[in-house]
Amino acid sequence: MRSSAAFREKGSRVIRVTGVSKSFPGVRALVDVSFEVRSGEVHALLGENGSGKSTLTKIIGGLHQPDEGEIVFDGRPVRWKRPRDAQESGIHVIYQELVMFQDMTVAENVFISNQPTTKFGLVDYKTMEARAAEALRQLGSDVDVRRMVKTLSVAEQQMVEIAKALVGTVKALILDEPTAVIAGREVEFLFNRIRMLSERGVAIVYISHRLEEIFEIADRVTVLKDGRLVGTRDIGDVDRDRLVSMMVGRDLSEYFPPRRPLREDSPIVLEASNISVGDRVKDASLVLRKSEIVGLAGMVGSGRTEFAMAIFGGIPMSSGSVTVGGKTYDRMSSALSIRSGVGLLTENRKSEGLMTQMDIAANICAASLGEITGGLFLDARRELGIAREEMNVFRVAAPGPQTRVIGLSGGNQQKVLFARWVHACKEVLLLDEPTRGVDIGAKAEIYRLIRRLADEGLAILMISSELLEVIGMSDRTLVMRDGRIRGELRGDEINEQSIMALATHR
Amino acid sequence: MIGYFRRNPALLGVLSLIVLLTVIGCLFSKDFRSVQNFQNVFEQSAPLAFTALGQTVVIITRGIDLSIDAQIALLSSLASGIVDSDAQRAIPVVLGVLALGVIIGLITGGLIVALRIHALIVTLGMAAILQGLALLYTLTPVGGIPDGYDFFGYGRVLGVPVGMALAVVLFAIVGFVLTYTRLGRQIYAFGGDPRAATMAGLPTTRVILFTYCLMGLLTAVTAVFLVSRLGVGNPVADGGFNLGSITAVVIGGTMLTGGRGSVLGTLLGVFMVQLLNNLLNFLDVSTFYQWMIQGAIVIVAVSLYVERRRTRA
Repeated sequence: MRSSAAFREKGSRVIRVTGVSKSFPGVRALVDVSFEVRSGEVHALLGENGSGKSTLTKIIGGLHQPDEGEIVFDGRPVRWKRPRDAQESGIHVIYQELVMFQDMTVAENVFISNQPTTKFGLVDYKTMEARAAEALRQLGSDVDVRRMVKTLSVAEQQMVEIAKALVGTVKALILDEPTAVIAGREVEFLFNRIRMLSERGVAIVYISHRLEEIFEIADRVTVLKDGRLVGTRDIGDVDRDRLVSMMVGRDLSEYFPPRRPLREDSPIVLEASNISVGDRVKDASLVLRKSEIVGLAGMVGSGRTEFAMAIFGGIPMSSGSVTVGGKTYDRMSSALSIRSGVGLLTENRKSEGLMTQMDIAANICAASLGEITGGLFLDARRELGIAREEMNVFRVAAPGPQTRVIGLSGGNQQKVLFARWVHACKEVLLLDEPTRGVDIGAKAEIYRLIRRLADEGLAILMISSELLEVIGMSDRTLVMRDGRIRGELRGDEINEQSIMALATHR
Repeated sequence: MIGYFRRNPALLGVLSLIVLLTVIGCLFSKDFRSVQNFQNVFEQSAPLAFTALGQTVVIITRGIDLSIDAQIALLSSLASGIVDSDAQRAIPVVLGVLALGVIIGLITGGLIVALRIHALIVTLGMAAILQGLALLYTLTPVGGIPDGYDFFGYGRVLGVPVGMALAVVLFAIVGFVLTYTRLGRQIYAFGGDPRAATMAGLPTTRVILFTYCLMGLLTAVTAVFLVSRLGVGNPVADGGFNLGSITAVVIGGTMLTGGRGSVLGTLLGVFMVQLLNNLLNFLDVSTFYQWMIQGAIVIVAVSLYVERRRTRA
């Protein structure tokens, strides 16, 4: 941890954002936010998903233009129209989804927007490769600059992204959740590079929702919640609990519903045995008991989603079996799962869950078509009846069952999906990132909903990248890494350190 | 050269197909194996080569052009109709036709950028418009070319057919631009990931406009070549260049999903298509079957190169 005294020696303001607001259709992403970062400082930007961190980053990076407010760069007000304007001023954003051209070489990627040319105006590959290699060497990376980017690991690609900044002028470097996709030693490596750059006077904005990391790397921290500024603090002036309550806007005890004592005698409703999916999931097993919430934690890409999908039958398993309703299946299909009472809320609500152009009623009844079919035809009145009832139960805020789901907020869309699956499946609910893209208020509501469903007897598996959520919600937590289940945590063992230890093999 | 093979493993596939076709042809047809015939195949490849070159660059940027045949109908009719066998008009009209090709490309590209409509729809619409214009101008082949102006279509320089010589030079230039200029890098980058290209600050509008202007220019060159060769422009001729060019491009390993491909692959693809048609002619296979075969080849070629999703393992 760095002291706040050290911070006061940091340099001049590189970027100052004052009173910035930004709206997208249906969402106020940022409301009157002010923020600054100084040269040589590592400034953490903290907040839950949907708090506006990414929007702020994109405004600073020139990808979005603010509706209101002012950006001052190096003492001058600026209005960037496109990412290029910001880049030319020395501001480089490393987005979570890396801006990488997979079919090009490392050197070509490093110089994607400013290739060095010979005196005839042709691309000078020799200089390009030499300078790219030099930039990577400064970062301590010995990746061959002629390799195709698609052959690199994500961590190596991140270094290529940082190298992009180093070959030009770099005054500010903004990293958007860089540790969401890398682990263990790679994280330490990245942190060392970040420290090196900040010592050179580069202003660094570091976005994350992992508190542990922030105490390790940051000098100051700014917290956003629901698009608004909560506050900026020196890192020495806050502790973990203080930051958490800033992020969620209330005490944790009110945020998550109370946990029940784990009941070992509760009957097993689903057992997955030794499931493998290609090389993404290896020999993974779990049991789910009635009325139990099991958290499934792990890094992005650790195989969590594929494991749940294989249990549900959304993707074929290469080996293993699922036992549910007293029968064992070594080939599962989604139709079979639904018949056995097992539902899955996918991670991508819009592309794999909702039929966004259809109305609420059709979405709620989508997994229960048998129930609303009278003879050959759908019974529209029955469909509406079911929808009305479930909208009540799940408290979907919308004018009526015939409202199209595309116009609903993320929280309400998610409730529609809950209604669909709970109506169709009475045994097991597999939840993949159930609160992604949902604002804080709706999150607390979804947590209470999940707990209530468990109390009513459903067995619940909850995949989540948000440690707070896993810790606050699960009765038991399984942790995956590289396709395998690495451990099970119970009760007080479920905390940030123990989960990260299993997830990253530190 | 090594770079080409590294980026484009399909080259080996198309090369072996060419060898295979040649071997089959030599075994089964006496006429096929004459030197004269190979020269003919080479010579006849020129128009397909021009259009496929343009189509390659368009497809690398994730676009497609389905208006080639209609544009050729219009431009070839205009060229022979306006020149009307008058030698003095030939050069200005040729230049005018080339300029018109670029303008048509500019309109196509402009519509794609401004309206954010997929190239498939824009060029399909443009095709109907251009074909309509051609038929408004004339319903039958009209005009002609002055004496000596069939040189482009039939002439030889040191034994090399002029049209194909020009095609090879153009392939070399475009290949060079794609590999050794910033514009070339931008074309591949945009095709590989348009969103990332925007985030990287690349001039994406310019890239699209350029590719369709090049396409329009090369289509105009094809029109001029065909007029020179046939002596007259034809408003209702369907040379099959839409399908032909796409076939050559995908066989040459350029991905319809963008970002990957090479002009060398396309050139080999052009030879393969011409060789196949030539062979089928000698084997007395009717044109109708030839169409069916070419259609099947496109589908098979694309399906071979599709990248299967890894998660469906």
